[in-house]
Order: sequence, then structure tokens, then C-alpha cells
Amino acid sequence: MSAIALEPSRSLLAADVLKLRRRRGLVVVTSLLTVGAMVITYGIIELLHVASPATHGPAGGVDNLGHGSWVAAALGAVAAAIVGSVAGAGDLDAGVYRDLVVTGRPRLALYRSRLRGGLVFLLPFAAAGYVVAAVSTVVFAGARPVPGPHLLVTTGLWVVLQVAFYYVLAFGIACLLGSRSYTIGTLLAFRLALTPILASIPALGVVRELVPGVALQDLAPAALGNTVRQGPDVPMSTAAVVVVLLAWAIAAVVAGGWRDTARDA
Amino acid sequence: MAVQLHDLVVETQALTKRFGGRTAVDGVELRIPRGVAFGYLGPNGAGKTTLIRMLLGLTSANEGSMRLLGLPVPERRAEALAGVGAIVEEPRFHGHLSGRENLEIVAAVRGGEAHRRIDDSLARVGLSARAGDRVRTYSLGMRQRLGIARCLLADPQLLILDEPMNGLDPAGIQEFRGFVREFVGEGRTIVLSSHLLDEVEKTCDWVAIVDRGRIVLQGSIADLRAGGDPTVLIETRDIAAASTVLARHPAVKRVSDDGAALHVALADVDAVPDLNRRLVAAGHDVLRLEPARASLEDRFLEITTRLENAA
Repeated sequence: MSAIALEPSRSLLAADVLKLRRRRGLVVVTSLLTVGAMVITYGIIELLHVASPATHGPAGGVDNLGHGSWVAAALGAVAAAIVGSVAGAGDLDAGVYRDLVVTGRPRLALYRSRLRGGLVFLLPFAAAGYVVAAVSTVVFAGARPVPGPHLLVTTGLWVVLQVAFYYVLAFGIACLLGSRSYTIGTLLAFRLALTPILASIPALGVVRELVPGVALQDLAPAALGNTVRQGPDVPMSTAAVVVVLLAWAIAAVVAGGWRDTARDA
Repeated sequence: MAVQLHDLVVETQALTKRFGGRTAVDGVELRIPRGVAFGYLGPNGAGKTTLIRMLLGLTSANEGSMRLLGLPVPERRAEALAGVGAIVEEPRFHGHLSGRENLEIVAAVRGGEAHRRIDDSLARVGLSARAGDRVRTYSLGMRQRLGIARCLLADPQLLILDEPMNGLDPAGIQEFRGFVREFVGEGRTIVLSSHLLDEVEKTCDWVAIVDRGRIVLQGSIADLRAGGDPTVLIETRDIAAASTVLARHPAVKRVSDDGAALHVALADVDAVPDLNRRLVAAGHDVLRLEPARASLEDRFLEITTRLENAA
């Protein structure tokens, strides 16, 4: 027997996590996109270094923390899109949403619990992936500069923030559209294709600051330099970054929540 | 049977739902007494599921009011639904989870005592042995039983089952009917929507017949049967020719033929000896003549024929 006999809100959260962690495919894909990607990235670089030290540097050091963090953030966003879409639209897709609604529990409470459940499921994977990156950059630094604790922590927070941000977007869009596949497609196109294109069009000027990927890039620790940049640098104030990210996240959560509570179940 | 107002578990007044220009539920006044199996009977597209969805808060009404277990909905929906279990259309589950895990999720949503009822609910529907298997491996009958187990987590006073017999084999239907009678025996009220007239007649005590969004008749099945025209069953060697003779009699309202005998609906039951005399005089050997037990189908046809004639 599982342990969903807790107080009401905690048991609801546990139930929403259960729905995700019992999806084998989701667990495998999320693991691969987070922990697996880091193991493979640093593993290959270190193997190349061991095989040919003259032509390949070690896998660690500050520069490789930047490269690894870029990979962790990019693939973490993909994992976030997948998990967010399942957390947002999984009940609808399975046809059980109406069975939860007819219990009398407010739809908003169900919505909030699903939102939190997805984060509780996803963030440990993102954090574990980053831990692999951080440990690798220290252990395999060789003669390169070793990243300090402050840089390791701020970079980790930056990676986790990106994953959490794209999760919230995916969750809101999934609730709004009621479809996992449309959500994943839309978000990946936005994150992986549209964001770099928009960021590299100088004629757009200040409008580029409204693109969340640009704002997130601006938050990257300065010590990582260009290793985490996907396009040109668009300088923004911290306040502007916070406003842009909050505006996107709030818009996604409100739109998804509105649709979730208003739809014919 | 007289129904007191406080005995009603469902009560609607002028309930209406429109989808664009189409009225799916049209001013429905439904009264469902406590502790019965209530059939909500009508053809496909008559608005049965829409009415159920309104009662359960899955969609909103355009006009009218509803009370569920004596509480106004949607105003006190959460309180009312705490005592209601429902299967709307087919029972759906997370296929990647086991039967028990699916119930654990609903128990977590319901809160209270629901979690402690999981084992009993699974045992009650005979699924304890398969509770750990993924639901995607269940047959339709097993999913239907798991749907009932899910309803029982609420220890419901009222169970609303939308077309529960759809897709079940005869053994499954028999089993389902057994569940319904058991639950009624425990004092629960079962509302069962169906387009299968025979099924409602076999399973339910009360019925409302709905057609094109409107209730055309409601009451206890016994009262409805008794309220119809007296009918006799007549068997002769040539039922087609006998039918012609009988149809000319002024006391005969309708004659129908089931292939073996004639069902003759009468305006006056005292005309039976005269019918017999006329058949014999016309050269027909009367092999059988007996009162027919009016079925719900006879009553339904009688009412719908009357409605069609009036239209």
C-alpha cells in the first residue's frame, strides 16, 4: 500500500507526483535529458582528454561548467516542456479530469496541486543533473581554474530557474490547450528555434527583452562569459529581467487556471 | 407512491441547457426519491448525459435550478458532491497506474475517510486480486467494476451511473444489475441513465422518460404499468386475419403482433367476452386469451404515439 494517507493537501500533492513518477517513459526521458545528458557530456569530454591529452583538454574547469550548464538548461527546458505538458493535460488526456471534478474538490485546488506536483517531480532531476555537472567540473578540472562554491551555487540556481520557468510555461499552456503534443511542439519551437532567431535580430531593439530566453540568458553568472550564450548579448537591468519572467509565468498560470476552471469537464 | 419533498435526492426546476441554437435539456422538472433505483430513460441524443453533467457541475445550466441531496447546486456543490458517486459516460482511468493507485488518487482528492475505504471498495466489486495490475490490462467489465469502487470511496447516498451497461456482456450486465439492487438495499439511491428500455424495466423501481430534452413521463414503474390501457394476449392460428377482425371492434385501441400472439389494448376490459365471440364467429380458433402484463415498453409506445399524434 502506498502512503497517500496524509493530510488532505499533502496527500493530493503526493497523488499528483505519483501520477508522474509511475510513467516509466516520462521517468526515463526526464532522466536522460537531465542526469543522462550531463553524464554523457562530461564522460565523452573526459574520455577524449584521457585518450589524447595533447588535443583535448580536461572535462572540468570554469569554461566547461559554462558549456555544461548551457546543455543542462537547454535539455532541461525540453524535459520541463514534457513534464509540464503531462502535469497540465495528463488528467484530461486520460479522461479522468471529470472524475476528479465530481468529487466536489474545487478545480482551482486540483490545478494548484498539479502545478506543484510537476515541480516536485521535475526539479530533483534537474538538480541531480546539475550536481553531476558541478562535480565533474571540479573533479576533472586538471590544470584549469576550478569553479568556486559561489559560482557553482549561482550557476546551479540559474539552471534550475530555467527549468522551473519553462515548466511553468508548459503547464499553463497545456491547461490552456488541453493537449500534451501541441504544448510540447509549441514550447520547443519557441525555446529552441524562435528565441535564438529573435535574439539575433538587432532591428527588434528593446522588443527582444520581452523574449524570456533573452532575459534568462541575461541572468547567467558573469564568470561563465560567452560559454552560456546562445545569441548576441542583449543587456537588461535585473528589474527588467524579473518583470519579463514574472509576466510570462503569471500569464501562463492565470490563462491555464482560467481555462481549467471554466472548461466543460 | 406519493413522494414527500424532503425525500427527494435530486430535484430540478425548469432546468435548461442550450448549445448554440440547439436546446439539449428543455425545462426539465425532475424529482428523484431517496432509496430507489431510478431510470433516466431516453433515446441517444435526448439530453440524458447533459442533464447528468449539469447536476455534477461538469457544465453549467443556462436556466433553472437544481438541488442535490437537498442542497442547492452550484451554490453548495462541494457539500452535495461529497455524498455522490458518479460514472459519466464510460469509466476512465490512468492506464499506467494500477487499480489501487487510481483509487488512491481519487481518495486523496476526496479526503476524509475515503482512503480507508479503498480495500473494502475493491473487495466489494471483486477486484482485490487484480488491484495491483495496471488498469490498461483490465477488461471493460473490470473497468466498470473499478468505476463502482471509485464511487464507493465516497460512501455515497446517491450514485449516478451514465449508460453503465454499454459494452458489457450478458454476465457483466447481470452482475451490474446485482450491484444496483444491493446498493438500493443499503438505502442508497441509484440514478441510471439508459437508452435500453428493457434494462431500465429490469433494474429500476422508478423511471423518467425523456425525449428531445423534455421529460414526457415520470413515476414508479409499477404505477406506470398500472396506468396504461388494459391489454389482453390473444393467440389464434392466423393472427394476421384475427388482427383485422379485432381492429374493427370499438373497444379496441391498438393491436400489435409479437409474431406468436396479438397484444390487444382495450378501452374497456368488459369487452373481452365479445372479442372472443367475434373471433369465433369469424371462424378463428382462439388458442389462448389472457390478461397481458403491461410492460414499460407498451406504456412508452402508448405515450410516444399519443405525443406524435398531438404534434
